[in-house]
Amino acid sequence: MKFTFRVSPNYRDQLSTGRIMRDLTIGLGVIYAFALAYYFTQYSSNYGIHALGLMATSLIVAFITEVAFAYFTKKKIKSHLLGSYPWVTAIILTLMVPIATSYFALGFGTFFAIFFGKLVFGGFGQNIFNPAAAGRAAMLASFAGVAVTDITTSATPTASIAQLGWMIDKPEAVTKFLDQFGGLQNMFLGLYPGALGETSKVLILVVMVFLIIRKVIDWRIPVFYLSTVFVLASLIAVSKGMGFWYPLFHLSTGGLVFGAVFMATDPVTNPTSASGRTLFAIGLGILTVLIRVKANLPEGVLYSILLMNMLTPSIELLTDGWQIKNVKKYAISFASLSLIGILLVFGVSTTMSYKAPVVPEEPTITLGDPVGIFSDETALAPASVTDKVVDGDITTLTVSSKGYAMLQDDHSEDPQPNVLIVKIDTVKQEIVSVAYATFSDTPNIGDKTKDEKFLDQFAGLSIVDEAAEVDVVSGATNTSVSVARAVRAAIEAVLAQ
Amino acid sequence: MSIWIGAMQKHLEGHKGLTDHNDIVRVDAGKFVYIPLMSMFSTNIEVLVKEGDSVKVGTMIAKRSDHMTVPFFSSVSGKVVGKQTIMHAVLKPLEHLVIENDGLYEKEQPFSPIDFEKATREELVDFMMNAGIVGCGGAGFPTYMKYKNPQNISTLIINAVECEPYITADYREISNNIDDLVLGVKAMLKLSTAKEAWIAIKSPKKELIAKVRAALVGVSGIVVKEVPDVYPMGWERTLVYQLLKKRYDRLPSEIGCIVNNATTAIAFAKAIRTGMPIVEKTLTFSGNGIKTPANVSVPVGVKTAEIVAKLGGYASEDVLLIAGGPMMGKTIPNDQFVVTPYGNAVTILKTEKIDSVACLRCGRCNDTCPAGLLPVRINNAEQAADLDTIVKLRADQCIECGLCTYVCPSKLDVAEGVRRAKRILQLKKK
Repeated sequence: MKFTFRVSPNYRDQLSTGRIMRDLTIGLGVIYAFALAYYFTQYSSNYGIHALGLMATSLIVAFITEVAFAYFTKKKIKSHLLGSYPWVTAIILTLMVPIATSYFALGFGTFFAIFFGKLVFGGFGQNIFNPAAAGRAAMLASFAGVAVTDITTSATPTASIAQLGWMIDKPEAVTKFLDQFGGLQNMFLGLYPGALGETSKVLILVVMVFLIIRKVIDWRIPVFYLSTVFVLASLIAVSKGMGFWYPLFHLSTGGLVFGAVFMATDPVTNPTSASGRTLFAIGLGILTVLIRVKANLPEGVLYSILLMNMLTPSIELLTDGWQIKNVKKYAISFASLSLIGILLVFGVSTTMSYKAPVVPEEPTITLGDPVGIFSDETALAPASVTDKVVDGDITTLTVSSKGYAMLQDDHSEDPQPNVLIVKIDTVKQEIVSVAYATFSDTPNIGDKTKDEKFLDQFAGLSIVDEAAEVDVVSGATNTSVSVARAVRAAIEAVLAQ
Repeated sequence: MSIWIGAMQKHLEGHKGLTDHNDIVRVDAGKFVYIPLMSMFSTNIEVLVKEGDSVKVGTMIAKRSDHMTVPFFSSVSGKVVGKQTIMHAVLKPLEHLVIENDGLYEKEQPFSPIDFEKATREELVDFMMNAGIVGCGGAGFPTYMKYKNPQNISTLIINAVECEPYITADYREISNNIDDLVLGVKAMLKLSTAKEAWIAIKSPKKELIAKVRAALVGVSGIVVKEVPDVYPMGWERTLVYQLLKKRYDRLPSEIGCIVNNATTAIAFAKAIRTGMPIVEKTLTFSGNGIKTPANVSVPVGVKTAEIVAKLGGYASEDVLLIAGGPMMGKTIPNDQFVVTPYGNAVTILKTEKIDSVACLRCGRCNDTCPAGLLPVRINNAEQAADLDTIVKLRADQCIECGLCTYVCPSKLDVAEGVRRAKRILQLKKK
């Protein structure tokens, strides 16, 4: 018979760190599943596969880093992995990046997150910064282009409003602005491209409720963080005469909700006391709003989390003591911090102004090599005159000429010829003008030939000068030649009279 | 629950169904009983009998007489054999007075019954002192001390909460002695000078609440108060805060209340009626480490091993033998410790492996600590040997309820770290 000695109590709750991490993984999994469904259905399977590849890359790099660390520090690999939860960091980091991120950039970010963000501090529980946030910051600093540039996605709501100085005080501009993203409602639903897991606020909030009920995260952090942002944004809205849309926009844009639910709640890097976590969350809200509206960064969530992580030890010192005797002190800290936030944001809001969007200039074309009107190039695939109207000296001809789409590109379905109107002065024997009736060639390339700079070259050319030539548009040689071909057909039709 | 502090309590799975409706098993004393010569960690006790003296059930055999008076009584009739040092339920080897049991259970009234209604308050306090009534909630604090000089007391709180998991001894004791409970509370109410007595019972114990309420019909000044089923609702401070929404510094009398255990009231009533002290106890023997969990009625001084044997023995080769409930009770490395007048349970659990991982700083211990301390911070300070921080964090206020260890998802011994910090503070005081 053995009577084992153990210190009391000898009774334990079912809840374990393993279960907390499992629930968190499930919550993150739901968000990731939404992202996959979005990219597979709204874009193409290539994008969906890229999203799968990103997750695989991050997980593999995270595990390799942990295993290598365990091997070199002579720890038991299995127990090290089970107590280190690398996959949580990997998943969070992957959900923070946009779809166009390269595998290499994400792999680098993951390594940084796991190794420099966590292991060098002594491993899980010892790290000062949220590892995923540290990894994302490293990616932004090292791979700004690779990590952010995105051919599929237009500017994100956050980047767009940042260009406008984080405010729009003209009601008609507001509607136009929000409509770019399908309105506020669509931004909450998340049906627009952005960081993989950050777009659907509604889904993240549902997961948040699950995690709060399962006691995985403390309700104080998301509730106070989001409320602070809401209140401070409302303050800006009031001081700048903006509507209710403004605080809602703050909540619905960028990584705020995702960060509030999945990153600010990271227990390792936030204070251990309830009062401390409340102060931590308010601090996050203040910093997020300040960074958004005033700093040189488009988004404030990531850096406010990293900054508040740094302040966690100080908050712990502040709230240390006998909690039931400290309530007054906690209330004073809470009130002071809130007041500082309100004053700072109010002060800053007085310096804010609406930056009207800059209308982008039309792209200018450059002209390249010359092409002769009667050269060999225009002899190929001759254009056909479909209509001719004589009005005194001026003969107007409608010419159908095969462009690039018909002659070179066999990918387009049912390509059509370009139709041009060529006016010729039969007395002076020179061309009056050349213009498009219908343009059916490649968009963005061939349509450079619509530019006056190109078409105006034809005006005044002699129809009897065999050496007459115009310069083609650089990058649109084929379409330029098709215009020259139409002109040749028109001249030949007039001369044949 | 507030914004600033967590819940400061937690519902625990009670496992009370193992024992709360079984028959109480009567366990007789074996050849010897061992009366522990200790009161509230004081061993300043004068033995009143010599080796070879004959004693009866109820004979006063020893007395603590420093600043508190606590008499000790024999629980069997027989002969005094001598003293022996054996393990006590507080996990310390202590001197016990050994009495050889003749099996006759001849009784002797060490004092006369008293009519509490006629007696003066002072007479009743003396009676309580001489009857050796001690707090039956586990600590064994001499009850008369609370009533010696009551000032501005408005409420007497009778604690029938029994919040430790597995324990149902109080529940059974109260169910079976409702009349004595009412008598005892009436007498205590007189002692306390309070206007009202509140009997606090956990709200899920509907049967018991109904029974007590029925017995109180026509009795003025005593009411039942239902309290939530959370741990440690039976702790004086948590209970007082629950009922009065007030906190106190050292003693509940500061805010006008006295708190006593319901079984203490029953023991007091029995002494009043019969002139007999506590010589027998009802204890819960429960847990997954014993063959037949049950409540037992047993003379004071009987060894645990004898009771377990009577209940069919252990259910595992490796058990945690806990004197008390699993939260606050200590594991005792042998089964030779005996039943005391203030003990109410032995919990026997199969030893299971605990896999602990690193602290994730989740702060659950801080949010749940019923004393409002910050256990994880105290642990950190203790590991860093940072005495100033330990003082600032008020480690001295820990009552070792064990809730911090219970809630720890990383399965760390948080309470033990706080205990070490407390010891550092105590050593520093000396």
